[in-house]
Amino acid sequence: MSLRLKHQEQLQIVGMHCATCAITVRKAIVSTPGVEEAEVNLASGEAKVILAGGSLKDVVKSVRRSGYDVILGTASFLIDVRPEEFGKVRQRIEEMEGVVLATISATGVVRVEYNPYSTSASEIERELTKMGFKVERAGQLRVAKAEVEFRSLLQRLLVASIFTALVLALRGLPITSILSSAVVVFYAGIGFHKGALRALRNRSANMDTLVSLSSLILWAFSSVSLLLNHLRPSIYYFDGAAMLVTFILVGRSLESYLKFKSSEEVPSMVRLKARKLNGELEEEVDTTELNVGDLVAVKSGERVPVDGVVNYGEGEVEESLLTGESKPVLKRVGDPVLAGAMLVNGYLQVRVTRSPERGYLAQVVRAVREAQAARLPVQDLVDKVSAYFVPLVMAASLLAFSVWYFLLGTGLVQSILIAVSVLAAACPCALGLATPLAVLSSINRATRKGIVIRRGEALQSLREVKAIVFDKTGTLTEGKLKVIKVNELIPGSAEMAAAAEERSSHPVAKAIASLRRTTHEVTDFEEFPGQGVYAKVDGVDVIVGRRDFIQSNADGEPLEDGDVLYALNGRIAGSFTVRDSLRADALDTLGRLLSRGIRVVVATGDSKGVDINGVEVHTGLLPEEKVELVRRLKSSGKVAFVGDGINDAAAMAEADVGIAFSSGTDLAKKAGDVIVPNLHSVLELFRLSERTLRKVKQNLTWAFGYNALLLPLAAGILYPELWLPPQYSALAMSMSSVIVSLWSFL
Amino acid sequence: MAQDPVCGMKVDESTNLKTMYRGKLYYFCSPACKSAFQKDPESYLRSGPKGMPHG
Repeated sequence: MSLRLKHQEQLQIVGMHCATCAITVRKAIVSTPGVEEAEVNLASGEAKVILAGGSLKDVVKSVRRSGYDVILGTASFLIDVRPEEFGKVRQRIEEMEGVVLATISATGVVRVEYNPYSTSASEIERELTKMGFKVERAGQLRVAKAEVEFRSLLQRLLVASIFTALVLALRGLPITSILSSAVVVFYAGIGFHKGALRALRNRSANMDTLVSLSSLILWAFSSVSLLLNHLRPSIYYFDGAAMLVTFILVGRSLESYLKFKSSEEVPSMVRLKARKLNGELEEEVDTTELNVGDLVAVKSGERVPVDGVVNYGEGEVEESLLTGESKPVLKRVGDPVLAGAMLVNGYLQVRVTRSPERGYLAQVVRAVREAQAARLPVQDLVDKVSAYFVPLVMAASLLAFSVWYFLLGTGLVQSILIAVSVLAAACPCALGLATPLAVLSSINRATRKGIVIRRGEALQSLREVKAIVFDKTGTLTEGKLKVIKVNELIPGSAEMAAAAEERSSHPVAKAIASLRRTTHEVTDFEEFPGQGVYAKVDGVDVIVGRRDFIQSNADGEPLEDGDVLYALNGRIAGSFTVRDSLRADALDTLGRLLSRGIRVVVATGDSKGVDINGVEVHTGLLPEEKVELVRRLKSSGKVAFVGDGINDAAAMAEADVGIAFSSGTDLAKKAGDVIVPNLHSVLELFRLSERTLRKVKQNLTWAFGYNALLLPLAAGILYPELWLPPQYSALAMSMSSVIVSLWSFL
Repeated sequence: MAQDPVCGMKVDESTNLKTMYRGKLYYFCSPACKSAFQKDPESYLRSGPKGMPHG
């Protein structure tokens, strides 16, 4: 935490609509540590906060905890950063005025949440540039950048390999050795020296510092000893310096290849080209050039490039990416298709209905990119360790030299080699990569199964979930409600109730509305979420809704049967009995969750729950009562809420993890940290969460274990029986980060 | 503008925090006022607004 001078932030608060709200928000802000004063203006919705050492992140948290929200901007940048510097970069950005949160993904995407009143994306970009990074605004996932990095590393590796082979083959020729190794150290290894200089400018040290130092010391020492010997063959280690750089480039290239492959994985689902039809002519265009209304052709074996409707032809489409369902679905004229679906066989002409950047898949890619930058709590420890790691290694290297040279009286050459070997063996990047890569690979796995993880942190929260609450209608049930019985006290009255329900989007209302047979004049429509509706139908006051709602608004005998009652002109006039069937995978999913020892709760607004052994059922809940239920459950541990993400957005926001159901429609309209295509995906999520944390632990154990073992070896603890010369230390180090990368994706 | 029957505040009628009781519409400033009213509507209608139901 840096010490900041007192400064003022202006925030735009969302959700205040009365004086009490303003007072609540002000109280929440003032109670945040490090806040001196706050003023909240109800009319403008603005809050002025005077911070004295406190962080904006905590203020935003307090506001959200009190049930309101703050408008924040988000921006993503792609930078060429080493994993062990993640912590440093994050800290620098978070110290900027107006920045709430900064996170970095394994592929170098920095995602920043900021207060648009105090700073801007351009200012953050300038700060990153000032730190010496090449910055690109990540408008969309830039696979190209990862690919360019990989290709340039490969090119340098090729040069390094050729010249290292020369050095090794012509050992007896000092001039060839010095020149060939110079090409390797100064041309092929230029990236390390640049990185080291940049780190030095930011007053930190990283992996590049160690590689640059060790290769330069070996090369410079060899050159000096050669010159002192008047260019006669003598003790020199040009081969060591060249091999060191080459081996590290091998590791970097592999690491970069894995990153490139994994960042390519999600966008590869998005076809960048489409066959646009102009009459009979077919031309290949970028999907970005397509407009709503255009016609595109999709041939067998291709992915559908845009969201649209089949205009001609038919074929079987596999939509697992969007719905998690791998069985192909037959699509005919008039059926909707989504970008990213695969045409298994057949031929389709699709009329574009949504511009590609607003399409479902584009939303998925954006969400996934943001989630990949998730920061698991364990990262705090890793950042702390990484910050001290390199300086400690440098000190250890100096200490090893001093012990061998001054205390044990070993020769200067061997003492220098030992010191360099320590520098080359240390591997901070495996530490830095451990968490982000595990998160990245799990998110990619999820995406392949049609699960969209929007907030990567949910992967950790899920592991700690003690209770899971399911909304019933449309989540545990098919959501295809049917009216199975109508009880009319006044003949023909059900038709009026059906007309009143027409404007509601609630599944029960839709089922009742489907009974309408003739046209009516419907005015003064009012909907009461979780209770019912009121409307004037042909001049008659009609109320339809829950039993208690009707009883408090109408006179007459309450009917015994029926789930939904209705009243005409203030008198109870009849009832409807509605049925919905459980989803095929509901029982199995709930059973498995119970056997994991998780408390399973079903929350529903209906008067009927579900009858499943071991499942707690709460019926007749209003939306705000669902929020209350989640709040109560939270007192005994983390809570997940599974619902449709529209009607229960508030309960979802209250839960530690919100899981919303979707089958490839609009992500933007949905609440929820995770979007799942079916109930079984909920179990898959729990498995993924376990896998992520297992991988993180294994990666960190490896990274710490490797350094604990290799550093003493390089420092000569078993010398002369067993010792690693610098080039082999470098090889071990490179392989260590490759192993972490590979392990994360296995 | 309508009046919240629980705390007496002026409330915009476009709010989703509303209910119907005895055929009449009531609007609220917060979920807390709405649920207080729903628990015992008669007492608020008899004796008028009593202020916010929470601290």
